[in-house]
Amino acid sequence: MDIAFRPQRSASIEVRDLQVSLGGNPVLRGVDLRIEAGRMVALIGPNGSGKTTLLRCLLGLQQPHRGSIRLLGEGPPGPRLLRRVGYVPQRLQLDPSFMLTVREFLAIRRPGTAGWFWRPSRFVDDQLHEAVAEMDVTRLLDRPVAGLSGGQLQRVLICSSLLNEPELLLLDEPTAGVDTPGEEDFYGLIADVHRRRGLTVVLVSHDLSMVYRHASRVYALNGVICCEGSPDEVMNAESLKRAYGIHFTPYHHHHHHTHGGHGP
Amino acid sequence: MDLEPFMLRALLAALFLGPLCGFIGVFVTARRMSFFSDTVAHAALAGVALGFWLGLADPTVPMVLFSLLIAGLILWLRERTDLLNDTIMALLLSGSVALGMVILSLLKGFRGELDRYLFGDILSVGWSDVWLALGALVGVGSVLLLRLNALALMTAHADLAHVSGVPVRGLNYAFVGLLTLTVALSIRLLGIILVTSLVVIPPAAARNLSASLRQQILLSLLLGILGAGGGVALSYPLNLPSGPCITLTLATLFIGSLVASRARRPARIAP
Repeated sequence: MDIAFRPQRSASIEVRDLQVSLGGNPVLRGVDLRIEAGRMVALIGPNGSGKTTLLRCLLGLQQPHRGSIRLLGEGPPGPRLLRRVGYVPQRLQLDPSFMLTVREFLAIRRPGTAGWFWRPSRFVDDQLHEAVAEMDVTRLLDRPVAGLSGGQLQRVLICSSLLNEPELLLLDEPTAGVDTPGEEDFYGLIADVHRRRGLTVVLVSHDLSMVYRHASRVYALNGVICCEGSPDEVMNAESLKRAYGIHFTPYHHHHHHTHGGHGP
Repeated sequence: MDLEPFMLRALLAALFLGPLCGFIGVFVTARRMSFFSDTVAHAALAGVALGFWLGLADPTVPMVLFSLLIAGLILWLRERTDLLNDTIMALLLSGSVALGMVILSLLKGFRGELDRYLFGDILSVGWSDVWLALGALVGVGSVLLLRLNALALMTAHADLAHVSGVPVRGLNYAFVGLLTLTVALSIRLLGIILVTSLVVIPPAAARNLSASLRQQILLSLLLGILGAGGGVALSYPLNLPSGPCITLTLATLFIGSLVASRARRPARIAP
């Protein structure tokens, strides 16, 4: 066994020297990343920094050209390991012509045959119930998914990813479609899930302001991990300012927050 | 009333293919594959022409095979080139029609045959077509039902489906193959030009009246039966080709669904 991979505290994500080129352009140029289990962290970077590519690698959607990924301390992302990972995309590709309801969307996330289609009243079981209450989507169950607002859809997506009790939750630009007043509630909800379930949460975003309030550790990506540390350390790092350009002004928080990003 | 044997065959084929097209159509419209369906239908023309050229009495086999070939070519070009989807399909649609017409022009005496393949003809439905339609309904229908979760999830978000363990690439290939088969077999009834109407109109009309995917699928099946069966039933007494009759029946049902959905809004059927 490689000595550098021996965990101090068990790691949810371990990435070593990850290199990916797309269309001849190097997008990831040797990413090293170690995210400890049970933390709520942020992976930030400006547009074009390789966030999406790194996320796709972590989900087994993109094969790296060099380097290695270990999820949940076991191995590269494959079908069996991914069952223990929750993925929350930015939005769905749903056409309004598809009348999938929230209830049905939650049902099709379960493996196996389509019991919901034959006996629509029988598939709301306890497990579904718990996640539905946790994410406050009870009122939305009979709404078509294509007609939800950005914030409602995010709650539904998180709810659906909680159904198979993931140990790691990856959220891609979680507040991209959420209005500003809704953002705070939304992160509060994620922080609650994180605390209650003790899972690892990775927020992937270009939005620096959320980092202060919600992540206990921040990884800044720009082709490589250019800096990592506590939100304060990272926000003041010269390398981050360079990554985001000289006009970057960090968000200043006025009050000490009451919820969010403390590791358990 | 006595049912003529050809009428019985055409009605049976309609009752098998109508619900199948309605079912698969729900996913075709949601995945924005209407033009794809149209392209593989037009590709069948070249298959029909090849069948005649080879001297086959029944060109079903070359028709299905050529449509599958074009479907495969679309997928291959989509993966291997950076051509736009629309461009690929327009290219292959016009290319297949041109190829079919050149072959038919070189052969003498198939002008009359051409019309029945372009617009459908109940007289051309043989017993083998009826059995093929039944086989497709059972075979394709079972795959769709057994993989309903995976198919719906892939329609909602391909990457999410992948992470949830759905073999997205394989399922997409299977879906394209089954759709192509369904469309090619429905050409006898509707004709190359109109066959996509049976795939697209039932789910679109069903959507107007549904409050869930389950309702949309069930209603789309029903509308497929009504449209295909009704169109065939009208085709004989009116002495019109079956394709236009089915399409106009479907269009009438669609208008009805639109009116009904306006009337009942905002209250919708309970799920």
